[in-house]
Amino acid sequence: MISLRSKRNSEGSLAKKGERPSSHVRPGVLGLALSLPPLLLVGVFIGLPILIGLTFSLGFTAGPNRVISIIGQQIHKKSHWWGTLQAYSDVLHDSRFRGDLVLTIFVTVLSTTLVLLLALAIALYQRLIGGRKASVLVTLSIVPLFVPVVISAWAIHTFYGGDGFMRTFFSHFGINFPTLTSTPSAIVIGTVWTSLPFAILMISSGLQAIPDALIESAKDCGASSLRVIANILIPLAKTPIIIAGSFTSIGILGSFTIPLFLGPNQPTMLGVEISNFFGSYNRPQQSLVMAFIVFAIASGIAVMYVRSNVKSAKESGRL
Amino acid sequence: MFKKSMKKPLALFAAASLAAIGLTMPASHAASQTIQVYISADTNIQDLWVKTLAPAFKLAYPGYDVNVTFDLHGDHDAQETAKITAAAVLHKDPGVDLIDGGFVTTLGAAGLLYRPTAGLMPNIKDVNKTVLAAGKGGIPYRASSVLLAYNSTNVPTPPATLDALLTWIKAHPGKFTYNAPSGGGSGYSFVQTVVDKYLSDADRKTLVAQAAPELETKWAQGLETLRQLNKYTYGQNGTYPANNAETLKDLATGLVDMGTVWSDQFSSALKAGTMPANIKVTQISNPSLTGGASYLGIPNSSTNKTGARLLANWVLSPAAQNLIVGGTLNGFPVIALNKLDPKGTAAFAGVDILNLRAGYLSANANDLKSKWASTVPGK
Repeated sequence: MISLRSKRNSEGSLAKKGERPSSHVRPGVLGLALSLPPLLLVGVFIGLPILIGLTFSLGFTAGPNRVISIIGQQIHKKSHWWGTLQAYSDVLHDSRFRGDLVLTIFVTVLSTTLVLLLALAIALYQRLIGGRKASVLVTLSIVPLFVPVVISAWAIHTFYGGDGFMRTFFSHFGINFPTLTSTPSAIVIGTVWTSLPFAILMISSGLQAIPDALIESAKDCGASSLRVIANILIPLAKTPIIIAGSFTSIGILGSFTIPLFLGPNQPTMLGVEISNFFGSYNRPQQSLVMAFIVFAIASGIAVMYVRSNVKSAKESGRL
Repeated sequence: MFKKSMKKPLALFAAASLAAIGLTMPASHAASQTIQVYISADTNIQDLWVKTLAPAFKLAYPGYDVNVTFDLHGDHDAQETAKITAAAVLHKDPGVDLIDGGFVTTLGAAGLLYRPTAGLMPNIKDVNKTVLAAGKGGIPYRASSVLLAYNSTNVPTPPATLDALLTWIKAHPGKFTYNAPSGGGSGYSFVQTVVDKYLSDADRKTLVAQAAPELETKWAQGLETLRQLNKYTYGQNGTYPANNAETLKDLATGLVDMGTVWSDQFSSALKAGTMPANIKVTQISNPSLTGGASYLGIPNSSTNKTGARLLANWVLSPAAQNLIVGGTLNGFPVIALNKLDPKGTAAFAGVDILNLRAGYLSANANDLKSKWASTVPGK
């Protein structure tokens, strides 16, 4: 949009000179025509369902929501012109919801932190020390990207389960290794496992883009490796780190397969609880309310992401 | 991962609108003599229809063709229910004439099923009346029951009653499990059975027949009993297997000595060799674990009700019931055993298959699953 505007300005000044008077409107129309298909796609397949979902959660049960309100249980119909907040109140007063929300936020924060620390460690190792070992390490750490989540969830389940590898192995030495499946720890292990490759790709490419000259000149002035990391590498790779962090946390926030297979029955993460409410308990309105709460948290993370993008664009003079 | 997180809520939002889109697609009936059958189940039921029932029906009724659409594990039950409901509301063709799936009784309760009279479906007179009534317009055609599976090496004499089972669980910490009721019917059955222990016969009957939110407070005692089992079930920390398959796996690998399982899934696992031969099944009493029929439903809006009715009637005939009992499925029949081939029915000795204790109506069952989740695990 920004570049379009500047283009129009420059062409506008051309028009003032009287060289091509008809081009005065054309770029705007062209821009709109070019952006129309994706805008329509987003509007029809994302915007509209969200709007329909929002009206349903507020108790609008006619029109596109008519069918689902015939089938669902505990459906609240609107009591004011703007709807009703009864479904929201149901969810907020449900004893399960607080535990689910706390677990979801706990897992998201802990897993994202672990993913960022591990990814930074591997990427820094590759950037500062490098060599064959580092390349092998990075290549290996990207393997989970090519393993479907449901497969990795079962693999982790059989590894840490009651009859899994860890317990069998340690029992040979008389050690009773705890069964980690059905605990929040297993969810954290699973989400870190599946989210790490993307973060490594993002952060290592960010670190690779920093010129060697900066690192070398700092070292020539007597800076230690830690100082190079803290004052040069991390600040310069801030944008890719924030992008990796926000994508990872949004992914973990909405994860379903990992907490379903590896987590406890209750409390569970909101992705699983939404599915339970929609399917097993047949309460579509309440499940939508939870979906909007997840949506709100994810939007908060998205704001961080957009801010960081805008800031880096400003710093590099693109804005 | 992040793709999935966006897809999930979207899928929920889109469910209703998808149904509407589905309606605008052209109906796929090649001829009115083609019966569109929709199966929402596991692959053993797909085999039953595609390899056994459909070819046999075509031999018996050469004028008809059967087209089977299959949905594994009922992943699209919600969408299919929405589609059929929308078709009924808008008086359009749903593209389905006969359904076998868990949502048939839901459709029946919503009044969306065609109920043929006994004159039009003569074979229905052989079907157990209670099972028939529970279908709300669905036609029962095969059944299965939840049974108590036990490791006969470690447990030579399994408990015979629910009370004995509860005592056994407390005496053997960590050796019994049942799956989360929202994840599968075998765990659900144990939950309902414990809850039913404290209910009167009249209350149990009401919960099977109609939505009864006023009776749900009476579940408290049973749920409290289940909560107290948290420290005695497998894991001893109030966690439960996610689904039927995990309970079977825990039994097969020897993690637990006892658990509740579906009769047909257990027989199939035994035949496939994934379940060791020393694991056996039994039924408990007072009350017994629940079982139930699978129902066929003919949507009101179907354009080939006659064909669907003929097929449903034929499935209830002794010839077709023998096919369900035999083969790899080991399903329970829904008509009296003396009408069937005695070789096939020998396996049912000791299980009263015509008097299965019914599960609650789906609306009550959904509430029980929800109540269990908020009062039992991890408490």
